[in-house]
Amino acid sequence: MMTYAVFILSIIFVIGFVSFSSKPSPIYGGLGLIVSGGVGCMIVLNFGGSFLGLMVFLIYLGGMMVVFGYTTAMATEQYPEVWVSNKTVLGAFIFGLVVEISMVVCVLEGEEVDFIFKFNGLGDWVIYDTGDSGFFSEEAMGIAALYSYGTWLVIITGWSLFIGVVVIMEVTRGN
Amino acid sequence: MNPLILGIILLTIMAGTLIVMISSHWLFIWIGFEMNMLATIPILMKNFSPRSIEASTKYFLTQATASMLLMLGVIINLLYSGQWTTTKMFNQTSSIIITTALTMKLGLAPFHFWVPEVTQGIPLMSGLILLTWQKLAPLSVLYQIAPSINLNMLLTMSLLSIMVGGWGGLNQTQLRKIMAYSSIGHMGWMTAIMVYNPTMAMLYLLMYLTMTLTMFMLFMINSTTTLLSLSHTWNKTPIITMIVLTVMMSMGGLPPLSGFMPKWMIIQELTKNDNIILPTLMAMMALLNLYFYMRLAYSTALTMFPSSNNMKMKWQFEGTKRMTSLPIMIVLSTMILPLTPMLSVLY
Repeated sequence: MMTYAVFILSIIFVIGFVSFSSKPSPIYGGLGLIVSGGVGCMIVLNFGGSFLGLMVFLIYLGGMMVVFGYTTAMATEQYPEVWVSNKTVLGAFIFGLVVEISMVVCVLEGEEVDFIFKFNGLGDWVIYDTGDSGFFSEEAMGIAALYSYGTWLVIITGWSLFIGVVVIMEVTRGN
Repeated sequence: MNPLILGIILLTIMAGTLIVMISSHWLFIWIGFEMNMLATIPILMKNFSPRSIEASTKYFLTQATASMLLMLGVIINLLYSGQWTTTKMFNQTSSIIITTALTMKLGLAPFHFWVPEVTQGIPLMSGLILLTWQKLAPLSVLYQIAPSINLNMLLTMSLLSIMVGGWGGLNQTQLRKIMAYSSIGHMGWMTAIMVYNPTMAMLYLLMYLTMTLTMFMLFMINSTTTLLSLSHTWNKTPIITMIVLTVMMSMGGLPPLSGFMPKWMIIQELTKNDNIILPTLMAMMALLNLYFYMRLAYSTALTMFPSSNNMKMKWQFEGTKRMTSLPIMIVLSTMILPLTPMLSVLY
């Protein structure tokens, strides 16, 4: 059942990216990203990463995509005519769909592509057997480790985020 | 740029490269690459012209794609081996993907197209950083994973980039593009020896850094970016013309100069490994490189281009730029061939 759900979700995930790459308008591209992002969170959820899925959903979709949508709505054209016409865009989308469906059919027909279809390690993150004291969520263990002996990782990540903001301000302020 | 901001950004560029070089964990290597790439963008965009913004966008897109590929390779490696260590990479697929990502970052053919485009669009100082410091991180990772690299793929790519570096630079009149193509060619030499003898690649990198640094500093004295303005150097700083000639010949690998040493060593090392055709082709393709260096040196030092009369009065104005380290760099990039026996220190 879980494998089935992840399979369906993966198909929607790719459809989101196909729509994202076939539509030149940044706003509708953002819509495609939101679909893919939400579905991606659900895939992570299916692997047992409830906290990670929730975090990505809240931060990535809730925070970043709102800002992205706001800025693109303010700054860019809603219907840029970079491709020839609507029919070209639709054609590109349908072409992407056809490619994806044929890929899926190939995967379903040939059993040798074990890794793509069978989703090895589904639900792997749920529990961590510590041996004597019972089970933990592996995710919670990972977060605890990040803040205990992964101090430098957190510091470097924080510094990188800071630098990201500095670079964006420096690049966009003009001279 | 605000000195404080510049300081923070330069610190991050260096920290990124150093994190890549000292890490043994793939995640940190990826983080280092990302830090480095993010902080390089404002350096490339220093003068905010549309051309430099285009160039830094191109740089960002290629580097981001390469980082993504690197992450993909790392994750495949993790899936198959369950560990993040850099040195033990037994999975062929992930090795190929990671090598592709690194060569993309390095600007090796067939992923070389961004190098001339980006270098041409940015100021000389940024070009200097792009063609020297930015090569350190990918090369150090290639050095670390050298035993598990797919040899056929890397050798094909390096031969291809020596060819591209030679042929691409042939008809150029823009100095930054010439330097970019010569960088592509030199990267080909470095990666050709990478699997057989990584120390030789480091030696070549050292010599490449020295010569490229000298060349860019020579360009920066008069802010020359075209062949024409370089050919007007004779009435401004006449001694530079001769030095450009010498350093160019050294970059091309002409025997009495120090640029010959790494090429010599690499050809010897490849021949020792029963590789005959490859070094032959590489040496022949390096002649193309030498040809456009010679063309540049010819129009700089051996001819007097026609120019209007007021151009000939430039000597009256004293130069304002002082390059303290230039004499040392010139000596290092032309005259250290006799020090070749010191190579034994490297082992």
